[in-house]
This record gives sequence, structure tokens and C-alpha cells, in this order.
Amino acid sequence: MNHIDCKYFLAVDVFKGLCKRTKESISADEAACADFDKTPKCKHCKDFLATAEYLGMCKNKAIAYPDMRAENCKDFSWN
Amino acid sequence: MNTDQPILDCPTFNYYGEKPEGDIKSREIKKVPTSRVEKIRQLYFETKSSASVEFPYWYTRKWEELEGEIQIVRRAEALKSGFEHLTPAIFPGELLVMGKAQYMRGSYPMPWLSEAFFMAKEDEIYKEAMEAGRTSADEVTTMGQGGGNVTKSIGKVLSVAGKFGLRVEEMPVLLNIAKKWFNKSVDDIGHKYEQMVPGYKEKEEIMRAVICMFDSGYTLPQGREVMNYYYPLQYGIEGIKKICSEKIEQTAGYPDMDRIYFYKAVFIMLEGLQSWIKNYAKEARLMASLESNEDNKKEYLDTAERLDWLTQNPPRNFHDALQLVWTFHLAVLNEDAISGLSPGRLGQVLYPFWKRDMDNGTLTREKSIELLECMRMKFTELDCFASMGVVGGVLSGNTFNNLCIGGLTKDGESAANELEMLILESGMSCDTPQPTLSLLFDEKLPEEFLLKGVECTKIGTGYPAWISNRVAMEFLLNNYKNEGIDVEEARAWSIGGCLETSAGSWMPLELDGVTHFIPGGSAPATSVGVHFISLPKVLEAVLYDGLDKRTGRRVYPPHGNKLETYDDIWNTFKNYLKMTVDVLTLTNNIQHDVWGKISPSIINSMLKPDCLEVGKDISHQGCRYNRTFNVEICGGVNLVNSLASIKKNVFEKKNFTLDTLRQAIEENFGYISALETGAYSLTEQVKTTNYQNFLKIHKQCLDAPKFGNDDKYVDSIFKEWQEWFSSMCENYMSLYGKPMYSCQISVSTHAPMGAVTLATPDGRLCGTTFADGSVSAYPGSDKNGPYALFSSASCYNHALSQNSQLNMKIHPTAVQGREGARKFLEMIKAYLRKGGFHIQFNIVDSRMLKEAQKNPAQYRNLMVRVAGFTQYWVELGKQIQDEVVARTEYEEI
Repeated sequence: MNHIDCKYFLAVDVFKGLCKRTKESISADEAACADFDKTPKCKHCKDFLATAEYLGMCKNKAIAYPDMRAENCKDFSWN
Repeated sequence: MNTDQPILDCPTFNYYGEKPEGDIKSREIKKVPTSRVEKIRQLYFETKSSASVEFPYWYTRKWEELEGEIQIVRRAEALKSGFEHLTPAIFPGELLVMGKAQYMRGSYPMPWLSEAFFMAKEDEIYKEAMEAGRTSADEVTTMGQGGGNVTKSIGKVLSVAGKFGLRVEEMPVLLNIAKKWFNKSVDDIGHKYEQMVPGYKEKEEIMRAVICMFDSGYTLPQGREVMNYYYPLQYGIEGIKKICSEKIEQTAGYPDMDRIYFYKAVFIMLEGLQSWIKNYAKEARLMASLESNEDNKKEYLDTAERLDWLTQNPPRNFHDALQLVWTFHLAVLNEDAISGLSPGRLGQVLYPFWKRDMDNGTLTREKSIELLECMRMKFTELDCFASMGVVGGVLSGNTFNNLCIGGLTKDGESAANELEMLILESGMSCDTPQPTLSLLFDEKLPEEFLLKGVECTKIGTGYPAWISNRVAMEFLLNNYKNEGIDVEEARAWSIGGCLETSAGSWMPLELDGVTHFIPGGSAPATSVGVHFISLPKVLEAVLYDGLDKRTGRRVYPPHGNKLETYDDIWNTFKNYLKMTVDVLTLTNNIQHDVWGKISPSIINSMLKPDCLEVGKDISHQGCRYNRTFNVEICGGVNLVNSLASIKKNVFEKKNFTLDTLRQAIEENFGYISALETGAYSLTEQVKTTNYQNFLKIHKQCLDAPKFGNDDKYVDSIFKEWQEWFSSMCENYMSLYGKPMYSCQISVSTHAPMGAVTLATPDGRLCGTTFADGSVSAYPGSDKNGPYALFSSASCYNHALSQNSQLNMKIHPTAVQGREGARKFLEMIKAYLRKGGFHIQFNIVDSRMLKEAQKNPAQYRNLMVRVAGFTQYWVELGKQIQDEVVARTEYEEI
């Protein structure tokens, strides 16, 4: 898992961000540290079904994509 | 000097006065922001423009679910869904929070407006759009290669339009969403119906020739207007929801039924904003829980508490008020692709809160400046996702948030206040492109305030621009009298976008039992209508019987005129220009009508008087003042200089014939085209071996009378042009049945439009930029000093037009010290008193700009004033950089 998958990753831009815990600058696509904690994303939701690379379906009704953040999705449920 | 073979001097820049030698001179005044803001600014410098799919994904998903719903309600629900799902991001040290998207410089595409531009180039849909000429402007636009622009794809990030980075994992869903809007977006539906306009094919040719820069209905349908923050400040969000509920009860079932749908839409929208704010409050509490430093923890908790309060209530203090203003500013920016959403006279809007806090000791001067600096950073972080031709070619990546200071109160007294002095101070200590500042000059303003404005101008960032209150009021009284404006209301005006005079109103803010009349915008977007007509290119078409010589395509019907007199040229030009405005007015009216039907404004409509009162959104003329459509032009000075050259050389002195002139133009006066050399200013052009054959004619063209020298010969042509153009615009009707008016700002269009225009009869070479603004002299041609330039510029009544735009570049030594500041202020006053509407300055040693082109990394923080906006040097395209370097530098005033 990379920093971009961690709930403590604060994205500054598409390349990088800050760790919310340490406030240090980190690259989005580098491996996360030992304090990694998974952030809700569609790919972790029981209602998500992958259909292609970077694409999937949400509840079989709507297109979705695996890396979409889901903290504010009221239907999110960990798989 | 042998006059038959003149040697053209090609210095690296033009100057008036003694050429500067020795070390490059820095700007005199340097201040620094508070340490927290400096950290935020350093983070900003490292940040790249980033696009996100979050908002358009949720918008589109909800939109699809609600097929069959009343359109405006459907749109409200879609916007609500977008806001509710936005990932909040709070960066360390921020005292004001919230952003458009989850990135610091975040934005997102709005495929409901237009989906064509960001589709993959291989995509069939994109290819069709290319052929229709709708993307021609994109082809001739260059983006700045530095700063925050993502110029190339790298790793897991794709470059979009040479500016925005998009995560590779988001592209497939973005394309999927875009395709859902195919034939349903404002662009597509507008395109379908605009083809019904007689002469539509001519419009396509006009766009392909880049005679017009871009369509307005779907590219930037809102903006170039002034915000009105009154309702949230007075009532709070729950208070406005209560108004909506009451209005629904009063109107449900009665005639004019659209009102209840509008109120329902506003109510839904506000619920979306409340969820969005609450998510940020939750994020602030999370950040507090992770924070070990007690002071920082307290700040995060204060932020959470403030946001929780503001989800329901009006503000309690200055900090609350500033946060609420910022939240609503963002809310409007997220409902449409918008540039030029100006905060207006924010210092006067917030003054009652600020003064109360200062009087009761809960706020200090230092804290005020720190908050204002934080505000500057938030505005600077704004980004706008639109096509390259729009973002680069027109906007140079700028978002044009214009904060105005000065002007008059409702009762006609000076409106300057102590908070505005601090706004100037923070503009110096935290010099960033946004918000830009404009000082509304009036004789009633105190000298101390004006000298503070001069001090800020000397920082070199190009703000404040200096604008005549009297000229603006005259324009408004002339153009809005049929909508009931009076002198008192005209005083409430402000600048929308970079320089659009915009009508405003006084709203009664009540605080502690006292009513404060605060100014705010009460008109919708301007610079909608006809966008940026390239006047030199229309003149080129006259010389070539309606052809675009660059492409060989026919743009206009052949005029068949032998052009045997100057009047033949002038009259044919006027006819071609009228044809251009004829078809563009009608097609843009349709686009805006479609925008209003598919994608109406909800939040901005709620904010603008009198939409909430009458229950109509902006596209149903709910605003108090609706005459905002205009006709924008570019290259006016090159046009007039060219007409003067033709008149003098061809018809009076008979130095050469029109055929000879055409040949010289086609051969670019013996120079290599700027598009081949990549050098866009006149001072750096490269000769061919053919150069000698055109020396004489080129010199004759260059020596013809030039605007900017108080020369009656050319100034009389300029005056005739201005008076005719302003009068012509009144013959055209906007979508709302109101006459249009002229608007004369170049923004950055003088670069891409120059790129597609051949050499011109005034001696300008092919591909080089036009003169900027509307009354700026062509670089190097203003030889008689600033007061001669002012005389030329004020040869006509500036109140005939929505604006005029004059840029000057002054060497730092010319305005040095107190003596320099006083001379500078007197010079500014002299121009505005002569009748000038606007003047703005670069205070810079041009040699620094040349250095910055060679070593951009060492000049990350360098900013310049382009035309109505300040931008980081490294984020400007080379065309604009070359043009700014070439502008005449005044060594003395």
C-alpha cells in the first residue's frame, strides 16, 4: 500500500502530500509507513465490483472507480 | 544615416529616457508575510495545478438518477451531491479553510458545460470538435512552462491542456462521465441550436481564423462580476433556508410557478453547503486529534467550532465573517466554470465586523493582517479548469479575483477605511497574484490612503490598478438608467473580473442594532456576449478580400471593393466587423440561453439582489441590473496605427501601393516569422536574406504616426474608431433584450491573436503580440513621454465603453523614495483627471525580466502585471513574457 491509500495522507497535489500525523512531505506513490491505516475507497467497499482497470460498478447501478475516496459516501461499507 | 537603407535598432527592450546601465535594479519595497503564511506560500510554490474527478462524478451520478425532475431542482440536487462528497483538506497553519477540491491548487472539469476539450485526442468526438473550429484557439496558445503548470505527463500523473495534472486512475472514469454528457452538455446543445442562426458557417470560419477567441456560453458562463455576500452575512445559512421556506409557502400554486422551483433549488443547495462545511469541521477535529502541539490543536478546534457555527448562523466576529465570505465565494466558483468572480469592496463589506472587534479588543492590527494574508493565499490557490485556449490564451492561468478599495459611500463621501489600509498592507507583505487590488480613485479620498496605494504599487506586483470612480459612474448611469439606477446606487459599483465596470447595490447589514449599508454586486456575468474580436485580423481580411491569409480559407464574403481611398478601407473594415458581431451576438445568445436552461445558476442567483426577493434565477433576469452583455475587442491600437499608416503612406504620400504593402506583409517585411523563431516581441525578430528588399517600406510603416505620442493625425483616427465602435455595439441586443456595449481589455488574447495575424501595416511583424490593453501604446512607439501618452489615451470619452486599459512599465529608480512616490501619485491623478478610466503599472527593470526568462528557477516569486491581472512570471507563456519585456520602460516620469 502507498501513502495515497492511507487515511492520514493529506493530498497537496496529484504527486504528493503531507502526513497528517507528522506534517512531513510524502510522495503519493511511495510505500506507506508502519502507521498506515487504510482510507475508505470504493475498492474497499462491499458494494464495489471491478469491471476493468480503473473502473467498476457501485451497487450494480452506477459506474465507479476503485480509488475514489469514500469517507463522505453514506453507503460505504468495508468489505 | 543613409535613409534608403536604415538600420533597425533591435535593443533587448524599449525605453523612454536614459537607458539603464549597471546592476539590475530591484523594486524598492520588500515586505514579508507572517511566518505561518510564508510556510503556506512555500508549500504553494511547490504545488502543481491538480484536477480531480470527485465533484463531476457525484454531480453526474445524481443528475442521471433524477431524470424527469424539474431542471433547476435536478441541478440543485446534483450540485448538492458534489458538495457533500468533496474530500476536505486543511493544510497546516491555515486560519481560513476550505477549497474548491481536495488539492491545494485544485479544480475539476465540468462536462455538463463542455466535455469535448479533455477527451483523448484520438477520440472521434474530439476530432469532430477540432474540425468545427471550436478548438483553434487552443492550437495557438502556449502555456507557461514553469510554476504550478503540469506541462508533461509523468509517472501516474497525466498532463491535461499543458497545465493540469490528473491521476491516471481517474482518467477512465472521467472519459466515461464525459461521454454521458455527449450531446447533452451546454456546449453540444448550444452548438446544435446556434447552427440555426443565418450565416452560422461564417461564425465557424471566424472562430477557425481566431478572429474571435472563444465562445462564451459554455466556456466561462459566469464571472467577470462582483459577488454579493449580504445574505449569508445578514441571515446565516439557516436564515436563508427559512426565507426560502416562507417564500415557497407564499408562492406555491400561484402564477409564475417557476418561483417555487427556484426556492426549492436554493434550499437544496444550501443543505449541500451545510454538509460540505460540516465535513470540514469533522476534518478539523481529526487534525486536532492528531496534533501534539497545544497551540495548533486549539487552532484546529477553533476552526471546527467556527465551521459548526457557520453551518447555521450569521457570523459573530471578523474571523467568522471572513470564513463565511470565503465559503460562499468557493460555493459559487464550484457551480460553474468561472473566471473573474470578484470579491468587490470586501474591506467595506467586512468593516462593521472588523471595527467592532478592534473596538472591543478581540482583534489586533497584527492579527487582522495575518488573517488578510491567509485570505490572499486562499484566493491565490484558486484554479479554473477550462480549455487551453481559455486558460492559457486568455487567462494566462489567472482567476481574476478583484478586490476593490476606495470609491464613495452611499452618501457620496470617501469610502476608504482602516481595514482597506490593512488590505493594502497585506497586499505588500504577502504579494501574490490574488486577490488583485483596484483603487477606485475619487477626489474625496484622503491623501494618506492614496499614498498607501502608491507604496503598494511600488512593490511591483501591478496592484492596485487605479480606476476612475467618476468615469465608471458615468458609464453606469448611461447604461443602466432604463433599469432604474440612480446616482446613489451607481456609487455601489465595483470591478468584476479584471476590469469590467459592474453595477452594485447598497444592502442593509444590521449589526448590534446599527444598519450599515454595504456594497455588493447586483448584476450577473459580464464579458458574455461577443468575446475578443481581433481587430488587426479583420483589417487583414479587408486587405485580402475576406480571406484568412494564414489558412487560405474564406472568412467573409468577398467585398469586391477596389480600396481606392482611405474611406474605402475604413468602411469595408466597419462592414466586416459588423458582420462578425452580427453572427457572434446571435450564436452567443443561444449558448447563454441553453446554459440557463440546462445549467442555471443557483447559489450565485441566491446571492444577487433581487433574485431571492423575486424568485428568479439569473437567467430569468432575477438580478436588479441585467444589461451586462458586451462586445470585447483586442488589438485596437494596432488597428489604428495600421489605418494611420495606410492613410499616410498609401493615400497621402503615395509612398507605395496597397499591392506593394500586401507583398511586404506576406514576406513579413523580410523577417522570419515569430512562430518559427519562438521570439514574440518586435525587438527580437530575425532577418532573412531578403530583408534588404523591404527595409524602406518597413521603415515607412514604422515611421507612420503612432498612437501614444499626442499626435492628432493618429489620435483623430482613434477617436473616430472609439466613437463609432461604442455606438455600433448599442445596435445589438443581448439574450435579455438589452443593448450591448463595448468592452476593451485584452487580458492575454493579444498573444494568441497576434500569433495568427500576418505582419500589419503599422510595421508589426507576423506572429508577434499586439499592443496590450486598449490604450497602451505599441511597445517602443510611445516616444514623447507619459503625458503625451495620456493625451492620446484620453482623446475620447472613456465612459462610452465599459472600460479602457492602460499599462505602463516604469523603472524602479523613476519612482524611488518619497519624492518619487509623490511624483508618481501626481502622474496617476493627472491621467485620471484627464478622463482616463484605468491605469496600472509594472515597476521593474526589464533586464530582470530577461534574466528571469533565462533562469526561471531563480525567479519563482517574480510577478508582473499583464493586462488587468498579475501573474507569476514562470507561469506566463513566452508570447506574453516577450510582450511584457518589449513594453516601453519609462526611466523618468
